[in-house]
Amino acid sequence: MREAVRRAGRATVYLAASAGLTFGSYLFITVLLCTVIATVAVVGVAMLPETVLLMRRWAGAKRTWAGAWRGERIPEAYLPLTGPLRRRLRHAVHDPGTYADLRWMVAQYLYGWLVCLALPLWPVGLAVDGVWSGLLGRQPFVLPLIGRLADRDAAWSARLLRPTPKALLTERVEKLTVTRADALSAHDAELRRIERDLHDGTQARLVALSMRLGLARRAYDADPATARRLLDDAQDQAEEALAELRHVVRGIHPPILTDRGLAGALRALAAGSGLSVGITTDATDNAPRAPAAVEAAAYFVVAEALTNAAKHSGAEHAEVRLAHTRAGLQVIIRDEGCGGAEERPSTSVPLVGGSGLLGMRRRVAALDGTMTVTSPVGGPTVIDVELPCVW
Amino acid sequence: MRVVIGEDNALLREGLVLLLTSAGHQVVGVADDGPAVVPTIIERRPDIAVLDVRMPPGFRDEGLRAALAARAAIPGLPVLVLSQYVEASYATELLGAGAGAIGYLLKDRIGRVEEFLDALDRVAAGGTALDPEVVTELLTRRRDSPVDSLTPREREVLALMAEGHDNTTIAATLVVTERAVSKHIGNVFLKLGLPATDGGHRRVLAVLAYLNNA
Repeated sequence: MREAVRRAGRATVYLAASAGLTFGSYLFITVLLCTVIATVAVVGVAMLPETVLLMRRWAGAKRTWAGAWRGERIPEAYLPLTGPLRRRLRHAVHDPGTYADLRWMVAQYLYGWLVCLALPLWPVGLAVDGVWSGLLGRQPFVLPLIGRLADRDAAWSARLLRPTPKALLTERVEKLTVTRADALSAHDAELRRIERDLHDGTQARLVALSMRLGLARRAYDADPATARRLLDDAQDQAEEALAELRHVVRGIHPPILTDRGLAGALRALAAGSGLSVGITTDATDNAPRAPAAVEAAAYFVVAEALTNAAKHSGAEHAEVRLAHTRAGLQVIIRDEGCGGAEERPSTSVPLVGGSGLLGMRRRVAALDGTMTVTSPVGGPTVIDVELPCVW
Repeated sequence: MRVVIGEDNALLREGLVLLLTSAGHQVVGVADDGPAVVPTIIERRPDIAVLDVRMPPGFRDEGLRAALAARAAIPGLPVLVLSQYVEASYATELLGAGAGAIGYLLKDRIGRVEEFLDALDRVAAGGTALDPEVVTELLTRRRDSPVDSLTPREREVLALMAEGHDNTTIAATLVVTERAVSKHIGNVFLKLGLPATDGGHRRVLAVLAYLNNA
């Protein structure tokens, strides 16, 4: 009996210890599980945008193939998966395109195997249609089924992969949000520049002018010679202020644009560019004019392009073409120079070389436009700018 | 001289009237918008018209068009065009007819009263008055043109000629003798390959035609 009690006691101690350890194990397992889940989740979270990108490419390939079979272009609309991880995740999860692609993939599980029917259809078709059509001269009916099969697959895929109006809108809104922010910051920088020019330049000159007039007034009776010199200075200051003011105004909106419209302004620009420039436009005299901001952007882009061509390309001749498309205004500037124009970020080499192109791109982007530069070494350099607007 | 003014800005219009009357000229008509310019000129028959480029109703280049229309109606009518800014292409249009008696100046130049009145007289007498800024633009227009082969002094002489000044004024401005000016002009015409012409606006027109086509 005593032995039994002692053993039971030891056993109890052991069990207590064991229970403690078990409890510890539970804790450990829980922590481990949490760790594993967290690890998987974190890696998974980081992988999600990449997976979505892969899925997009997959769906894109199907769009291309199905579109080619149907003889149409199946558009795609996705939110951009760029920037910090948080933004990429949000876009990957919120993009209606992601779910559309997922639906298509699930649907492929269900009807995708149907395409395998094409293989058995071939021997059957060759045999049956061979007799039916080849010998009896009737319409073949088995082989065309393969074509019907492809039609079905392409039709279903196209329907599933074509972005919904909502997806198209979402993409558009996203793009507009970005370009609007760009436009605002470009506008902001522009306003600051004008303010600085007026304050530091023109206003300072007018203050100096007023000062000289004040001094001349004081010297008027006692020292006419000094007064005269001060008045001369004052007039110089006034003229310089006027010249600066003209310069600022030109930078805001070239006056000749108002007077002569874009084509006329470009002709004047071309005449002063140092190149022989051919300008063609499809606009008639009473055609509607683009909004002032669009015309100004087109003007500055052409001005910059012609300056670059005159300075760097070694070309003698350039072509500027203006076209009024349904979507807006298209400007193409082409020179037969040495090419090799590069866009360098303006931070590294400010105001040298490529930064001109970058500035042009910003100006165009601020108006939701696009700009493509092709400039292979050896030329020609072609800059194609499209600025959307309503006619 | 009898002058017609076309200027919509009241401040500048009054200033011009004051300036011209104090210089002994007579302002016989004032137009404050584009459409009124030509009828006023035809009615008043001035010795010279002073027109602003930008006028109502469109605030574009009404004054410039009015100048061309007035000269079409009255051939050889002296016109001095003033503007807040100058464009070489506008100068080309104004000089296009080739008859002289044309001025095209920045409004800033009115401040230099003597020079402004001198330009006015020059234009009224059938000469040319072209703003230095236009001339500079014309001179720097073309790369590797014969203009680059001129000496700095010859370029100065060319610029002053293009602005419409005669030898006496050029000599006074550059502080050299008239003989020296004639020599420089001879060199300029030789280097640019222009046929030598005697003074007057014919010479100015030849120079401008050259610069325009260079």
